[in-house]
Amino acid sequence: MDKKNRKSRRVLGILIMALPVALFVLSLNVGSYSIPAGDMGKTLLSLVVPSLRQDVPQVHRDIVLHIRLPRLLLALAAGASLAVSGAALQALFRNPLVNEYILGLSSGSAFGAALSLVFLGRSFPPQPAAFVFAMVAVMAVLLIAGRPESGLVSLLLTGVIVSAFFSALLMLVEFFASPYALQSLFYWLMGNLALAGWRDLALALPLMAAGLTLLILLRWRMNVLSMSDEEARAAGADVRREKWLVILAATLVTAAATSVAGIIGWLGLIVPHLVRMAVGADNRIVIPLSAALGASFLLAADTVTRSLTSIEIPVGIFTSLIGIPIFLALLKKSKKVWL
Amino acid sequence: MSLQVRSLAYSNKNFTLRLDALEFAAGRLTGIVGPNGAGKTTLLKCLGVLLPLERKSVFLDGRDLAAMPAAHRARRLSYVPQEHVPTFSYTVRDFVLTGRAAHLGLFALPAARDAAAVEEALEFVGLRPFAGRPYVQLSSGERRLVLIARALAQDADVLLLDEPTTFLDPRHEVEVLGFIKRLTRERRITVLVTLHNLDMAVKYSDALVFLKEGRVHAAGPPEEVLSESLLEDVYDIPMRIVHCDGHKLIVR
Repeated sequence: MDKKNRKSRRVLGILIMALPVALFVLSLNVGSYSIPAGDMGKTLLSLVVPSLRQDVPQVHRDIVLHIRLPRLLLALAAGASLAVSGAALQALFRNPLVNEYILGLSSGSAFGAALSLVFLGRSFPPQPAAFVFAMVAVMAVLLIAGRPESGLVSLLLTGVIVSAFFSALLMLVEFFASPYALQSLFYWLMGNLALAGWRDLALALPLMAAGLTLLILLRWRMNVLSMSDEEARAAGADVRREKWLVILAATLVTAAATSVAGIIGWLGLIVPHLVRMAVGADNRIVIPLSAALGASFLLAADTVTRSLTSIEIPVGIFTSLIGIPIFLALLKKSKKVWL
Repeated sequence: MSLQVRSLAYSNKNFTLRLDALEFAAGRLTGIVGPNGAGKTTLLKCLGVLLPLERKSVFLDGRDLAAMPAAHRARRLSYVPQEHVPTFSYTVRDFVLTGRAAHLGLFALPAARDAAAVEEALEFVGLRPFAGRPYVQLSSGERRLVLIARALAQDADVLLLDEPTTFLDPRHEVEVLGFIKRLTRERRITVLVTLHNLDMAVKYSDALVFLKEGRVHAAGPPEEVLSESLLEDVYDIPMRIVHCDGHKLIVR
């Protein structure tokens, strides 16, 4: 029974890891302009084999390399980032309901990025300001709520308060923004992958990759840190230092993702939940599978929203609309809040 | 490994713990007893450096405990809390594996060596068949044993246990204390354990430390220190010591 169970979990794990690759290939071929599969292959190959370039129509190259590819990469990276930072923060705060939204990370980085966009212009990368204000928000939450082990309610309540504060600041920024800036700000804030080009990704992708690598490397340590501070310390962990490292990495990926893709809610809560339900609580498995499932989830959601209707619905709205029912169903099914 | 207190002081708002020279002999089981609020758990947490410990107050084989790096210290000394409040549903095996943190770098994953230490620790407490089960599904007696197994997997030679038998029925109480006693005999582990049940403390301990109001009232082997007048001094109620089948029983 135990062995059979473990085997089916392994199969499930491999399937989840393969999912983003399959969805990537599928989504690359989906779009308002249809490109035959053979041409698609040639276009991609022309990236690495320059001699193929003359065989490929310029339109194909433009669509694939400058529209679809950056958008798909952003969906994969942002999805993985939000899901992994959610899983990491849940382990760290010993609280399966914590996510980047509740800790004020999302609203902090949204405010920072908006501030940068409105007052420093589009040519200045918004990531530094997003990161700084995300750190300010999470530090404010931790300072007001007290120690991480102080109860769930105080943490959630503080998160709501800090998020509300940053939302007000964001509205202030919007108030001072020019109508043109306001419009792009508005679309971006709703969670939108359509606006990103290579120029925006040049900084955001490496930042997400760096933070994700750090979090994936720390994955077993999260098991240790998810015990009480006292137990983790007795086991030999330098609890303060290691917790800050995880918080910094989680803030970095959330800020980088939010600054280019806007606020994409619920991913960091639902994806780790689904993974834990499927394969158990061990973060050695939960973290990589959350990355794969989060990437798949956002990519699929984006592909659906951009191909379903002629007017593109921002993907952030879509993830919230389907995320909340999924979360409620999970809650009802598990009969308790955590798994 | 001998654990030596030279002079230990800890105080918070309404409590002060102050100990002068006290030595816990290697490979012995020392029971720490005393009334509620006497400072038993505080003493244990100070020795485990879970509460701030001043330098040059406690020495492990001549080395200053407060000056040792956390991972270094954890390889020599492990601590078993009274209980673990579970949040995530780890399997018993993954749970015990967290005890290996001191032997692994920050970015390292547990290797075969660590898995072997876990299996061995579970074997010792007789919970190997439970390795794949979720910790949250275990009974409180089994949970105590898993906590002990985690400390064993840590592979330290000093073990601090905070009231490992509270809320256990008599059978599990004897079982847990039996395992702890075996650790001192079979592995020469130095064990310090806080206990509420005086009969059990007398029966299992090689040495007893009586704490009262943050001070050591008496310390030594049970047969030397235990007396009716001491018990009345420490607990403020009259008690009698009755000999029965070669055991000392304490009657209130």
